Amino acid sequence: MNCSRSAIRGVILVVGVSAVLADCPAEEKRLTSDGQFKSCPVFVDHTGAEIVYVVQESAVQLRLMKLKLADGSTTPVHPTQTKNEFEPAFSRDGKWLAFIQSRGNLSLAVVMKNLSNGTETEIPPGGGFSGARSPAIAPDGSMMLYCYAETDTQSILMMPLPQGKPHVIISGAGVNNWPDFAPDGQRFVFGSSRDGNFEIYTARPDGSDLHRLTTQPLQDLRPRFAPDGQRIVFTSGRDGNYEIYLMRPDGTEQTRLTANPERDDYPIWHPDGNRIVYVAERNGKHDLFLADLP
Amino acid sequence: MDIGSFLSRTCGGASRRSFLRAGMSLPFVPLALGAAGMGGGGIPGSYAVAADARRNSIRAKSVIFIWLWGAPSHLDTFDPKPDAPADVRGPFAPISTRTPGLQLSELLPRLASRSHLFNVVRSNVTFAPGHPDAGTFGLTGFPEKPLPVKPNFGSIIAKYRGEKGSLPAFAMLGRGIPKDVVRIVDGYGAGSLGKAFEPFLISCSEFGEAEIPSLKLLDGLSPHRIHDRRTLLGTLDAVRRQTEEDRLHDWSRLHQRAFELLSGPSGRKALDLTQESTETRDAYGQTSFGQSCLMARRMVEAGVSYIQVNWSEYVEAMTPNTDFGWDTHIYNFELLPDRHCPILDRALSALLDDLSQRGLLESTLVVAMGEFGRTPKITNRAARDHWPRCYSSLWAGAGMRPGQVIGASDRLGGDPVSTPISPLMVGTTIAEFAGLDTQARAELKVLEGGTSVHELLS
Repeated sequence: MNCSRSAIRGVILVVGVSAVLADCPAEEKRLTSDGQFKSCPVFVDHTGAEIVYVVQESAVQLRLMKLKLADGSTTPVHPTQTKNEFEPAFSRDGKWLAFIQSRGNLSLAVVMKNLSNGTETEIPPGGGFSGARSPAIAPDGSMMLYCYAETDTQSILMMPLPQGKPHVIISGAGVNNWPDFAPDGQRFVFGSSRDGNFEIYTARPDGSDLHRLTTQPLQDLRPRFAPDGQRIVFTSGRDGNYEIYLMRPDGTEQTRLTANPERDDYPIWHPDGNRIVYVAERNGKHDLFLADLP
Repeated sequence: MDIGSFLSRTCGGASRRSFLRAGMSLPFVPLALGAAGMGGGGIPGSYAVAADARRNSIRAKSVIFIWLWGAPSHLDTFDPKPDAPADVRGPFAPISTRTPGLQLSELLPRLASRSHLFNVVRSNVTFAPGHPDAGTFGLTGFPEKPLPVKPNFGSIIAKYRGEKGSLPAFAMLGRGIPKDVVRIVDGYGAGSLGKAFEPFLISCSEFGEAEIPSLKLLDGLSPHRIHDRRTLLGTLDAVRRQTEEDRLHDWSRLHQRAFELLSGPSGRKALDLTQESTETRDAYGQTSFGQSCLMARRMVEAGVSYIQVNWSEYVEAMTPNTDFGWDTHIYNFELLPDRHCPILDRALSALLDDLSQRGLLESTLVVAMGEFGRTPKITNRAARDHWPRCYSSLWAGAGMRPGQVIGASDRLGGDPVSTPISPLMVGTTIAEFAGLDTQARAELKVLEGGTSVHELLS
């Protein structure tokens, strides 16, 4: 095993205190190999058998792709779609797939697809250049969070499912984005620049009981709760380029997981809670990788 | 018969046919009908002979103009304002560079570590708030009207230099001419200089495959698929037979240019990125913008005088149905870190490294800029809108003393506090680097009234 690169690290750094590298990092497994620009992987369900991710299929087409981990095969989720689609999110019961669909001139809609019957509902774009992003569906399927920018801030909104009236739950200053529910649905994490730069926060689904989890001069973003709710994985640029980190839900025990000269980003948890999947740039190419946690 | 024509959408939805139709007009296909026929030759009316007398003054044998269409936020890239209020500063932190006192946005870490290779200008200004009109200023130095539209900087240099071998003097890399939803953007072509000095448009995919949009009619025609002259000639002749007689003359010119470029050794070599090592190709990144920058370097080696690399809708885009490029009216603070800046940071850094390591940077001018900046104050859409009053640009190579910050903006990035640098000054400075002194410009009747940026040339 080559311990020196392209690998997920053991404990490297605890915030504020330098620590020792683990004896040897776990190897990362490449899940795709086409090298095309990728983002936003998400597991389809609790079995961990399939991942849906976004690929820049061509310079003018972002497409949702489904990857079967067993054999590495990939198929388009919507093969004939010519509109750009990205940021997929599944409900835990497998009933809903939400994603962002481009309607043209910087105009984005949230599409909610009922996977049992194929019907679609949507949150349409607002007027002008506008649109929602980053949908996240509550574990019990009762609500969806997403972000939307207007009135001097980019807020996080909550919409009761299947089609209740959205209302702002996180507002105030700055840009708020990337919400993700804790497995019990009692809290969610998100990124926000409300205090200056992008940091990670947690709150209750009604927006109350807000807590800041990170304090770094460079960006912390895209947090994701572990399946057991005991850890959060996120991306941070604190060490010079995007790497993947872990922390406890109270912000303690911040630990660096990856150490590569290129970008590691968009981390998600495998449903077994022992591995993560992420998008990594290796030699200028972007692919999905799977790695055990130390 | 359409030869790679396309409908050009412009920022409000109107469309018009903006490209070429074989036999009707041939913009963006420079003519190369010298006495040597297929062997290439000079452009009729070119300034090449006179230019020979001034070779000693040429500091930039080639120019790579990286056109960041859509207009990057200067505050989030080359001119961070860490001491500004939060609603101006934005969420990105400044990072130190190799140049003492110079900070760039944290979104450009690779460029920050290469600041010894380039200069940053922080006092660019333009005179129009919309993309089409500012685009014309940015590419020509002049407003759209009065007609005729003034020539692109590259067309001026193409006229001055003439062609070398079978390659065009002015190549434009991108899958189409960047456009705006409102209307067509003038300034990409030769304008008042005439069609002979139009750029030759070549696209480059994320895999480094070259295509010539003007020959899209010829399915499968690409440098990778044409294995012999007979195949190429047969394909072109088949199209020629279908072309109306009165269009044959123009078609012949296109035919000849295509033949020369695709079958000639220098043209094919310049377009064939498979001749590069894996390490070199990887360094630029597997994106169409990255591979276009690599192709630009190969064109420099081949002797092309001016290469414009377009960041356009055809570069990795979130909403690619129209051409927004860096026009981040929404999600500026997500698009820049997620897509635009990593792609630019990698590709531009690789280009500077590559040119430097090959000894080409000394004789190649690299300029990267958009048509304007973006609003210092964050908008009610939590993003940034257009800002013509102040923006930034990057300049490298051509014997410049690197590591300089030229010009400065005020504490909010709203206006220059030093001499404003206009698009005409940009074009004049590029021309000076390329050997067009005041006399040459006067004789060509181009860039009238322009002055150069002395800090860059000194």
